[in-house]
Amino acid sequence: MIRLDGVTKVYGDDTVAVDQVSFEVAKGDFIFLVGQSGSGKSTLLRLMSREEIATEGDVWVAGRNLSEMAASRVPYLRRSLGNVFQDYKLLLNKTVFENVAFALEVIGKPRHVIREQVPLVLELVGLADKTERFPNQLSGGEQQRVSIARAFVNRPVILLADEPTGNLDPATSEGIMALLEEINETGTTVVMATHDHRVVNTMRRRVIQLDRGVVVRDQERGVYE
Amino acid sequence: MLARIEYALRETWASFRRNFTLTLAAVLTSAIALLLVGATFLIQRAFENLLLQWRGDVAMIVFVRSDASPEQIALIDSTLRAAPSVIDVEKIRYLDKAESYAEAQRIFAGDPVTLSLLTPETIPTQFKVVPITEDADLVRSLAGQYRTLPGVEAVALAEDEFEVISTLSRFVRTVTLIMSLVLLVVAVGLIWNTIRTAMFARRREIEVMKLVGATNWFIRVPFMLEGLLQGLIGGVVSCFGVWALNSAWTSGVATFKPGTGISSLVVPSGYLSGVIVILLALGALVGAIGSAIAASRFLDV
Repeated sequence: MIRLDGVTKVYGDDTVAVDQVSFEVAKGDFIFLVGQSGSGKSTLLRLMSREEIATEGDVWVAGRNLSEMAASRVPYLRRSLGNVFQDYKLLLNKTVFENVAFALEVIGKPRHVIREQVPLVLELVGLADKTERFPNQLSGGEQQRVSIARAFVNRPVILLADEPTGNLDPATSEGIMALLEEINETGTTVVMATHDHRVVNTMRRRVIQLDRGVVVRDQERGVYE
Repeated sequence: MLARIEYALRETWASFRRNFTLTLAAVLTSAIALLLVGATFLIQRAFENLLLQWRGDVAMIVFVRSDASPEQIALIDSTLRAAPSVIDVEKIRYLDKAESYAEAQRIFAGDPVTLSLLTPETIPTQFKVVPITEDADLVRSLAGQYRTLPGVEAVALAEDEFEVISTLSRFVRTVTLIMSLVLLVVAVGLIWNTIRTAMFARRREIEVMKLVGATNWFIRVPFMLEGLLQGLIGGVVSCFGVWALNSAWTSGVATFKPGTGISSLVVPSGYLSGVIVILLALGALVGAIGSAIAASRFLDV
């Protein structure tokens, strides 16, 4: 589903964010990218959603080589990806329903699809009773659920999550992780960057550890060290 | 498809309301710029009426009495052709009664009193003469000879009637054209700025749109539509302005004494509607250019 082949990303002239990284993620996998701030976790995610282009090496996502992908094809790649962020990136002037519907609306989905899919996914994330609330009227955990709903509403094959529990307390984080696990069980490949020890140690999934842009550990059923 | 169109229109309208003051400034500037463009056209057209009979480097017109015999007309023609060192004989043009009458109708369009005195039967016919020499005195002395020919009613020289107006017309055209060009550029800039501000105000939305896979065109269209609409509204406002200006001018001209020449400075209504179409198109173009530059440059947020 995802394959990195000797990927290097250099920002500016000399800031090496990712250095010769190679790994493969199979369809339906759930993996953690761990490491300190600045170790290159976010850069890897951004390379996978082609917000960045590799300086060297190839990034394959869903059968497509992103290094050779034309800019005009990127929107169609993004439609098969879901993105979740630490800061949720919700639109504050839109309700929960509208935030999720927005993701379908702007890729031109007809209204009957929106009316059908949005309540379904809000039910899945457990917000069926809060569809008309605005983001400011929700807790952090609830806001993250909205953002997951938005990422998942188009049924992506891959979900990329950048520190999704970064702003949440342990109990709330657990709920979010349960939700991501549920999404993973539908066959969606999940790649999550985190430095949340508890989450990684509880889940016991594949762990890829980065240090200054280099993979230092790739372990099945790993823990945070 | 329908959902996309609806989305684009809804977003355009919302953005319009959100940036009301900036939008107003952009619309008014384009309106004033276009008004000036329209005025340039009208002034030019008005002068053209006045200069109509001198078009094509004609420097001398020999008017022939309406009751002149064919022999007299033939004599005038051969006399003109006898001076090939002064007159470009290839370009001598004779306007018969029908042609002269048609021309007079345009020249005196704003002067119904003079026009009513003319009929296709009583109108003088005319020879239009293009000189071949630069020597104005030579042309003038020749004109003096032609006045004495039988059947000649009058000889008019461009130097006397045309030069001042022509110079004035050129000057007015240059000034209004430069001013309207500058204002059009300002209008493009203001629309560009309005759209840029609108996009900046919605940068989070644009960021999310790009993340979930909206195409650049989908993101751009509402903004481009907004700029187009601003230019077009400016065009509509300027059309009202041009129409009001022209009506005021036309009714003002009607109070002048007939035959003073000022009355030639009116614009036929057919031409006015042509100008209006041009102004609307130009307004849309200004809006499209301004917003297209903004939308293509500020999409990376």
